[in-house]
This record gives sequence, C-alpha cells and structure tokens, in this order.
Amino acid sequence: MSAALARARQVIASPVGRVLLALVLMLVIGVIFNADGAFLRWTTHRDMLRQVSVWGMLACGMTIVIVTGGIDLSVSSVLGAAAVAFSLLTIQEQWSPLVAIVLVIIGGAAVGAVSGVLVGRLKIQSFIVTLAAMVLLRGLAKYMSGGQKISTYIQETGQVVPLPPIFDRIDARVFGDTVPVVVIVFLACVVVTAFVLRKLRLGRYLYATGGNAEAARLSGVPVPRVLVLGYALSGLFAAVAGICQAAQEQQGDPETGMGYELQAIAMVVIGGTDLAGGRGGVALTLVGVLTIGYLQKILSINAVGEASRLMLTGAIIVCAVLLQRRK
Amino acid sequence: MRKPNTIETFGILTLSALVTGCTGHKAKDKGEAKEEAKQEEPAAAEPAAAEPAAAEPAAATAEAEAPAGAQKTIGMSQCNLGEPWRVQMNADVKAAAEKHPELKVIYKDAQNDSLVQRSHVEEFVAQKVDLIIISPKEAAPLTEPVAKAVEAGIPVIVLDRAVLGDKYTTFIGADNVKIGREAGKWVAKTLGGKGSIVELKGLMTSTPGQDRHKGFLEGLDQKANPGLKIVFDADMKWLEPDARREMESALSRQKKIDVVYGHNDPGAHGAYLAAKQAGREKEMKFVGIDALPHEGVQYVKEGILDATFQYPTGGEQAIDTALKIFAGETPPKKIGLPTRSFTKDTLEAGGELIQ
Repeated sequence: MSAALARARQVIASPVGRVLLALVLMLVIGVIFNADGAFLRWTTHRDMLRQVSVWGMLACGMTIVIVTGGIDLSVSSVLGAAAVAFSLLTIQEQWSPLVAIVLVIIGGAAVGAVSGVLVGRLKIQSFIVTLAAMVLLRGLAKYMSGGQKISTYIQETGQVVPLPPIFDRIDARVFGDTVPVVVIVFLACVVVTAFVLRKLRLGRYLYATGGNAEAARLSGVPVPRVLVLGYALSGLFAAVAGICQAAQEQQGDPETGMGYELQAIAMVVIGGTDLAGGRGGVALTLVGVLTIGYLQKILSINAVGEASRLMLTGAIIVCAVLLQRRK
Repeated sequence: MRKPNTIETFGILTLSALVTGCTGHKAKDKGEAKEEAKQEEPAAAEPAAAEPAAAEPAAATAEAEAPAGAQKTIGMSQCNLGEPWRVQMNADVKAAAEKHPELKVIYKDAQNDSLVQRSHVEEFVAQKVDLIIISPKEAAPLTEPVAKAVEAGIPVIVLDRAVLGDKYTTFIGADNVKIGREAGKWVAKTLGGKGSIVELKGLMTSTPGQDRHKGFLEGLDQKANPGLKIVFDADMKWLEPDARREMESALSRQKKIDVVYGHNDPGAHGAYLAAKQAGREKEMKFVGIDALPHEGVQYVKEGILDATFQYPTGGEQAIDTALKIFAGETPPKKIGLPTRSFTKDTLEAGGELIQ
C-alpha cells in the first residue's frame, strides 16, 4: 500500500506527472462545472480537439524553436499568409489542391528558414527577427489579398465560383464521422516533432544548441544550420496550420490568426518546456495544448463573460506553471 | 547564443501583445466615437429619412450648375484600409465619384494611426483641396486638424465616426442601436414571439458591440414577448473562428435553438459552419449584420444566412453631399444613414430600405 503510494508520488513528481496533474485538475473542474451535462458528452471533447488543433500545430513548431532557446513570434502571420495564399491558389486560380498545399508548405518552411539564417548565421536575437517577420508577413497577407477576404466571391467580376472540395475535405470528420481531419493533421505534426526531437541527430543538436550554444559549437554541432532547420520546421507547421485555418473558415482572411503565437507559447510553457531552452518536449506540449483547450471549452460552455475569461485564463496559466515547476 | 532571461521573456510577451494589439482587433471599432454623436440622435432622424430621395436630384443639379471643366479635388482620408468594411467605404466613394468626371479624389490610408491621419488632413489643407472627406480613427486627436481645415475655408465631411465640438461641415454615419433593433424586430416577427435565441456578440468593450446588443434587446421586446429567450450568449470578438467555437458550446448545451444572432456576418457564418457540422443547420435561422456585398449578402444568396442588416458605409452619400456643398447648399449638421435588410425575398430588389 505504502509502496503504491510512494510510486504514485514518484509519478506525480516527474515532469510529465506534474503536467498531467494540471490536466487532470482541469478535467475535474470540467466535471464540476459541467454546464447541464454538456461537458460529459463526448461531442464536447471532439469539438475541443478540433478547436485546439490549429493552435496545437503552431505549438509543435514553437516547441522546437523554444528548445533551441529561441522564440518564434511569426507563426501567426505565417498562418495568415498561408491561409490567403492557399485560398488564392485553390479558389481563384483553381490550381490542383495538392500543388497548392505543397507550394504553401514549402513557402512556410522557406520563410522560417530565412528567420533561421538571421538568427543562426547573423546572430540577431530570435525575438527581433521573428517580430519583424510577424509584421512583414501580416503585410504580405494583406498585400496578396488586397485587404479583402479571399472567398468564393470574385471581387472583380462579381461572380461566385464553387468552393474547391479540398476545403470541405479538410474540415470533415473521418472514421464514421467521429474524428475531425484537422485533429489527425495536428497529431501527425506531434508525431513528426517527436520523431525529429527524439530519433534524429538533428533533435539532439537542437537540445544541445538550446542548452549551451557555445559548448554545442565547440563539440562539433553545426549550430547555424541546426537553427535554420529548427525555424524552417516551425514555418512549415505554421503553413500547415494556415491551410487548416482557411479550410475551417472556408476563406483566406488576411487578418486571421492574430494573437495565436501567444496561445502557442502559453501551450508550450504550460507543458513545462523551458523558455531558456535545452529542456522540454512535444509530449509535454501536447498535454499543455489539451490543458488550455479544456480550460477554454469549460469557460465557453459555461458562457463565462469575456472579462472573467481573460482573468481566469491568466490566473490558471500561472497556477499550471507553478504546479509543474521543478522543486 | 544567449539565453533569454525573465525580463526578456516578459518583454517578449508584452511587446508582441502590443504589436498584435495595434495591428489586431480589426474589430468594428468603427463608430467608436458614436457615443457622443448619439446624443443628437432624435433630431438627426428626419434628415436621414429625406436623404436618399433628395440625393439624386441634388446631384443632378450640382452637375448642371458646375461650369464645364471646373475640376474639383476631394481629399479622402481613411483611418485604416485593413478592414474589409473600410475598403468597401473607399470603393463606394470611388464608384460614386466616377459618375462625376469633374471630381478628382485623392485617397490616403492612415493605417490605424491617428497622428498619421492628422498629417494627412494637414497635407490636404496645404494642398488646398476643395473638400475633405475624413473617416477618423478617433475623435480627440483629429478634432483640431479638422477644425483648422474648416477655418482655412475647406469644407470637411466627417464619415462614420464623429469628431468633438462643431467645427466640421457635416457628419454622416449609421446607427448601430437602430440596426440592432431592426434585427431584433425581425427575429421577434419571424419566431412569432416564441423561441430560443443564441447571441454571438462582437467585442463588448467596443461601442458597436454594446449598441448592437442594446438595440437587439429593444427590438426583441421581451416584455411584450416573454416567450423569446436568449438561451446562450458569448463574446466572439467579431472573429469567425471564435464564433464557431462559441457556437459549438451553444450546440452542446442547447437541445433546441431557433435563431442565431451574430453581431456581424462572419460571426453568423461561423455559427452556421458549427451547426452544419453538428447536422443541425436546418433547425435554426441565422441573422447577421453588415451586409457587405461579397460577404453577408453573398451568404444570404447562398442560403447560409436568413437575414442580414446593412451597416452602410456612407461613401455614396458623402459624394452626394460634397456635390451639394459645391453647389452652394448648406447640408444639415448630421446625416443619419438608413439601413437595408437583405433576406431571400428582398435580395433581388437590392434589399429592403428601412428608414
């Protein structure tokens, strides 16, 4: 009995255990404030998963960048530009969706790589580089779209074109109408991130760079190249998120995704990944994503007012971070 | 690479919040300054009624009276072309001005910066344009530049948001309370006085959000129609993804929903997408506000929304008023804009005018 208790204590004391504790507490809160049983219906959980997916994709890339000791503020704008570009190519230019998806993803990765070069080779702080990229890419999104949402209504002609089926396909549910496609995309991003961080040499290099860049360089880690790849991956995931965002809105809104970068950072930090770099992982981020997702869902089904929502969210983020703090 | 310390981290969060805060919230802060303008409301209702009818003949006289070749230059200062609605306003000004070849309009976009907009007005004055149309970002910082322009003998038409005091030529704007009220009346009539309503509000810290809510309650008139109940409401901050998220919560809580009222069309559209995924879109009606031609009106055409109420840009009326001023007339100090409702039945006719 006491052995089991000690073991339980040990689990709770481990980093993953502490993060899970925050999630479990969140679920308990949900069961208490279940909004006439709405929280107990599985559709609520399914909806929650769909809602966090886009943020989660950004959080995957953010985890990689934060592990290197940097930060990527540009993800929200990459998402916006990708949503616009994807809508322009598929709806207005009627390109094959596959070509459009590939191009947009390559574009996102390229943008990330440029940030990576500036951070890695030219040694500019990631905060400044990605802040600039955030502003620049938001401008690009507005430029490409002419300030208007790219929808099936063609401004110049006043004509309405049919919505390409790819939009409904991404926004659909599979496996007997149970699992939203975007959730699968999100989980795929998690798996790719986990693979990169754990199985590839690049992953070890990313941690080494974040732990101590100078030591890493001296022991033969090609730090600049590692950073370029890290930021490129972040841009890639943000582009994927942008395509999913466009599909869910059925349009490319140049303003979409504003503020999502903070959401993604909060998810990574709640997961326990260290902002100083070198520590953390995507499994932790996944728990962070779910914690924030459930928090928002509980506030939403209980129709909590906006002001209280913001205050509660702030307070709970602090509590969650305290909970997973290393003793 | 140096590790970011706590202060840096804090800086990162605040700074990026600042940046997103500045460029973000495309929100309909339009009409933010309407609070002040509203006090004059009752008096302004009549000219509003007369306006559209009077506009056409007046424009025609202006054209006839203007000596051939007398070029008039109008400076148009827009506070922010990042919002589709404001892009539409410029498009409306342009479309109206193109009908009169003697008019030349110079467009400037202040990109949501009051001080930039201030310098735009000053540039127009220095340039000695014949008239200024300004859609100000906010009242206080732009009151003085506008007053200076009027003192320099340049008439100024203030569009959508007011400036303080009375040193401007005329103010043209729409009334969110009235539009909300029309939406409320439509819902009450459509439901026959009984039903469950979901209200997806715009930013409730913004005047348009508050006004569209207040007007809606007035229009519903729950005292006279106790059967009308708002069963779920949430702040979706004018954003479609947020509206969809809140609607999913409404759907999981409420077994029966009869009407969804979104404070803007993207909000109502987001709610529709949520209902459609739950297979419940046929159960309820969707009502929005704004009625941009390529957005709300288009949604009605596609059968997504059942009704949308126009928040007019006033672009056309501004040019009409400018022509009147050039013809020597003195326009009323405040011109209220009528709204239009778009439903499946009135779509063909270009909406139904509500005075």
